[in-house]
Amino acid sequence: MLRRLLYDAKIRDAIYQVALIAGLVALSVWFVRNASQNLVNAGIASGFDFLWRQSGIDVPFVLTNYTAQSRIIDLMWVGVVNTLLVTFLAIVGATALGFVLGLARLSPHWLLARVAGAYVEAVRNIPLLFFVLFWYFGVIAALPAPRQSISVFSLAFLNNRGLTIPTPVDGYAFRIAALASLAALVAAWIASRSAGRQRDRTGEARFGWLAPTLAIGAPCVFFVVASLSSIWDVPALRGFNYRGGFVLIPEFVALLAALVTYTAAFIAEIVRGGVEAVPKGQSEAANALGLTATQRLRLVVIPQALRVMIPPMTNQYLNVLKNSSFGAAIAFPELVSVFMGSALNNTGQAIEIIAITLALYLAISLAVAAFMNWYNNRIRLVTR
Amino acid sequence: MTASLRVWRERLFAGPVSSVVTALIVAAIVAIGWPLLRWAVLDATFSGATRNDCTGGGACWVFVRARFGQFMYGLYPIDQRWRIDLFAVIALVWVALLFVRSLPYRAWVGLGALVILPPLGVWLLGGGFGLQPVETRQWGGLTLTIFLAVYAGLIAVPLGILLALGRQSRLPAVRLISIIFIEFWRGVPIIAVIFLASLLLPLIMPAGADVDRLARAVIGLAFVISAYMAEAVRGGLQALPTGQHEAAKALGLSYWKSTGFIVLPQALRISLPAMTNEFIALFKNTTLVLVVSILDLLGIAQASLADPNWVGMNMEAYAFTGLVYWLICFALSRWSKSLETAGGAPRGH
Repeated sequence: MLRRLLYDAKIRDAIYQVALIAGLVALSVWFVRNASQNLVNAGIASGFDFLWRQSGIDVPFVLTNYTAQSRIIDLMWVGVVNTLLVTFLAIVGATALGFVLGLARLSPHWLLARVAGAYVEAVRNIPLLFFVLFWYFGVIAALPAPRQSISVFSLAFLNNRGLTIPTPVDGYAFRIAALASLAALVAAWIASRSAGRQRDRTGEARFGWLAPTLAIGAPCVFFVVASLSSIWDVPALRGFNYRGGFVLIPEFVALLAALVTYTAAFIAEIVRGGVEAVPKGQSEAANALGLTATQRLRLVVIPQALRVMIPPMTNQYLNVLKNSSFGAAIAFPELVSVFMGSALNNTGQAIEIIAITLALYLAISLAVAAFMNWYNNRIRLVTR
Repeated sequence: MTASLRVWRERLFAGPVSSVVTALIVAAIVAIGWPLLRWAVLDATFSGATRNDCTGGGACWVFVRARFGQFMYGLYPIDQRWRIDLFAVIALVWVALLFVRSLPYRAWVGLGALVILPPLGVWLLGGGFGLQPVETRQWGGLTLTIFLAVYAGLIAVPLGILLALGRQSRLPAVRLISIIFIEFWRGVPIIAVIFLASLLLPLIMPAGADVDRLARAVIGLAFVISAYMAEAVRGGLQALPTGQHEAAKALGLSYWKSTGFIVLPQALRISLPAMTNEFIALFKNTTLVLVVSILDLLGIAQASLADPNWVGMNMEAYAFTGLVYWLICFALSRWSKSLETAGGAPRGH
């Protein structure tokens, strides 16, 4: 009887799974007991009350209204904002540079393809941390002092204390421009839908230009108008340093430069793979139909290449998010650096802080992944 | 001659745009390459002993020469460095033997390498049992970089294979646990994991049980990489035709037998290039132990910049370390590529 039960596949499966779960639970309980014992020995009270204590930590790069008198939870928020800022800018920059490099590598121009290939092979085989340190200690530190700054049209100034950029005195015009752009985007969406429906019905695309104009052109115009009508605080040299404007600290510039130049090499490979995955017959068919080179790329090659590129691109974007934590190595105040570094050192609440940090990264990762999956589903090939 | 000239004209001067691009690139290469060549070779100083010997205005390779021992061995006691050399020779010869196809008992030699080499390495490097003990804080340089990558890899590969099998398992609890484990470690930054390992591991162990600083870093790295390895192995498992499982089952093989003798040998051959790429990523990410003040190759180079006798050697240090990392990773990636082209055709037994 017992023997029959033991040889029953279902009962065996159940036994295996119960044993596995019991083992894991026992291990966790052991870890938790050790941890609580160790915490009692070290005299650390557990709990999340510390988040509302005053932080007392100065942060050199703040976009919120955080000061050293703010609470620790505000410090965490500073880290999240800085992480998201670097991630976003690095994704935009790396995508642009990566597309240029990837297409250059496919170019029929022999030398251009070789140069792009050499860049990709050189960068992909060197650690990112190397680039972060190289940009920070090698390049930015070697820039001239503020008095001999490299001037960009006398508006922005690059020196060994970072990049000083002009800022609008008040952001009123920009807020209006942002709202107007949002409205234009909604209008573009409606226009593209109705144009698509009309095309499906009549086979004619008459207002096809309207949606891209609204989506790209209108926001550009709004922001140009806003920047022309704002009063700008342009940095100017006073004594030994620049006053006015906003200083992008060297750590920020170095981290961003490293992330962009490093990730671009990987994106270039994805772009190349995507374009090469489109069968040659597609281009030839487009030529046979009499499409121009631009039409061929825009209507035939790129839509199909994008489909192949989206999943690996998602991985790269998630990598940028995770790699923004390399800022901790040069003390750029992103999430790991300010929260897992400074806040943890000040409070000693290791378990709570680690749990919150990891949860925040997982949450952002899941959000990015969800967005990219949604986009992937939209452009997926619909087959019957 | 004329034919090859025509080819080059087609490649570089196909039209006006193409000619302009060629001119621009050549100009850029000259503008960047010439000063670089002067700095690295023409004006550089190669021989000497101190900073004062560097008078050429170019790179001061004397610095790299003076620091070469540290870059390779870290702060390992100089009179004990032979232990690292000895282990490197043993390991290299042993592994090189495995590449000899006609070697008798090749499988046993391979198994022996897996069983004997890792503990032998820990003993030779760490000491004890008759050797002078060397604390892990004295380890460093390229030795430590390779140690971290290899030992983390030794944990990550089997763990990754188990996780990949778990993800395909028909037992829902096993599947769920594997998925949670994989997705968790893939979702968090490695730098955070290294902090986590160095802070949390001592906390969850019984009071008094000390986990070595270096072991914490190895465990942290291994967990993250095992999650990525699992995904690489999953690719191979999914590429395997289901007929293989079914045939094994029809022959009456148990799960472990069919996995061990039928599924894994084929799946691993398919995923070997992807696994090599993950190993390259691991190798590059070992640099992150810098944040918990373990001085690997990049870390020791960074630390050497603070030496008051060698101020301003940033570029020399970065050029050297960058080149070492590039050479190793490039060789590995070429190997992975050759596997990709050599794969597909299964080799006979």
